[in-house]
Amino acid sequence: MNIVILNGDLKHEKSNFSKYLEELTKEFQLNHRVQVFPLKEMNLHYCTGCWSCWWKTPGRCAINDDAEEIFKSIINADFFIFASPLIAGFTSSELKKITDRLIVLLHPYIEIRNEEFHHRKRYENYPDFGLVLEKETDTDKEDLEIVSDIYDRFAINFHCKKKFIKYIDHHKIEDIVYETCNI
Amino acid sequence: MKLVIFNGSPRYKKSNSKILIEQFLIGYTRFCSETVPIHYLAKRNRKKEEKELFQNADTILVIFPLYTDSMPGIVKEFFENVIDTDIKTPKKIGFIVQSGFPEAIHSIYVERYLEKFAKRIKSDYLGTIIKGGVEGIQIMPKSMTKKLFRSFEILGEHFAKNEAFSPEINEILRKPFKMSPARIFLFKQLSKTGLTNFYWNSNLKKNNAFRNRFDKPFSKENFSTQ
Repeated sequence: MNIVILNGDLKHEKSNFSKYLEELTKEFQLNHRVQVFPLKEMNLHYCTGCWSCWWKTPGRCAINDDAEEIFKSIINADFFIFASPLIAGFTSSELKKITDRLIVLLHPYIEIRNEEFHHRKRYENYPDFGLVLEKETDTDKEDLEIVSDIYDRFAINFHCKKKFIKYIDHHKIEDIVYETCNI
Repeated sequence: MKLVIFNGSPRYKKSNSKILIEQFLIGYTRFCSETVPIHYLAKRNRKKEEKELFQNADTILVIFPLYTDSMPGIVKEFFENVIDTDIKTPKKIGFIVQSGFPEAIHSIYVERYLEKFAKRIKSDYLGTIIKGGVEGIQIMPKSMTKKLFRSFEILGEHFAKNEAFSPEINEILRKPFKMSPARIFLFKQLSKTGLTNFYWNSNLKKNNAFRNRFDKPFSKENFSTQ
């Protein structure tokens, strides 16, 4: 399998979270091709809402930075992982930054799905994804439901499925590898 | 009340959020003469000023466009910057979420997040105004935006008088929650004519990009031959 991991950790030093992802990557590498993007260390900008990607240069972003590498990898992956510590009750701004820019992979035209308006596909296939998160000290059940539901919405928008949410204090690396490859 | 508005649109001063806030303030200033600072989160080099405004406000309104069914990255960054325990938080906080899609259903997931965020920073939650169908208001004829602008004016008036969102206007603005079967039927009929993509097509044509509209620049076939 081709697996992409988007690491939205905001800490510069080697945090527990990034160490966990490193272990996870090693485990994946035994049998799969893995690409890890350390978002904080990359040259990435926020979406400016210019819509060049929809009506000037269809499918391409106007911002010239490292994001294009990520777009290419994700749309050609079999699976991808949004990885981030929760901060202020949600995944990090670094992860949201790249998530916003994934609209480059969709088409502006609107269609009806689930009796709602959504954008149609630009590509044939979109990979499913999982979430690997680290809880905050005050994270409660409500927070986890909110995050889960918002990513379910992302899955509808992105024509794919959210396969799992795993927490680094709770789930073993082997579980993530198993679910990524078998479900 | 010391009110500060944070505009979370990545489009900065070209944003639809700015236009809605202008209407809100027309109503607001009829009953409150105090100037209302507006801070643009898209100006990311003004973090110090942003923090000061946040700490000195009694009441805060945050307006943003819906991005992938939640807040844009710059708004998330703002939330992360003000969550520190050593930062004084406003007494009250309210939100306005506007989206391109016409239905409110897309915005109700982030609404739950926003309510929880208010709780997290221990501010009173004033609620969230949800308004869909906002994309395109800058090119619509006046007759089409009149009702919308009037609603935001009344929202501002009510806010100046009561320090709260008008529940009636909130209810009106968040309609439709979902598309009615009749509207879905109409949309499906219209989509056969291509009319439903008029906004996109006219812009694609204006940019001489219409024939490239289905480009797949990152598909394997494409970049293996490059």
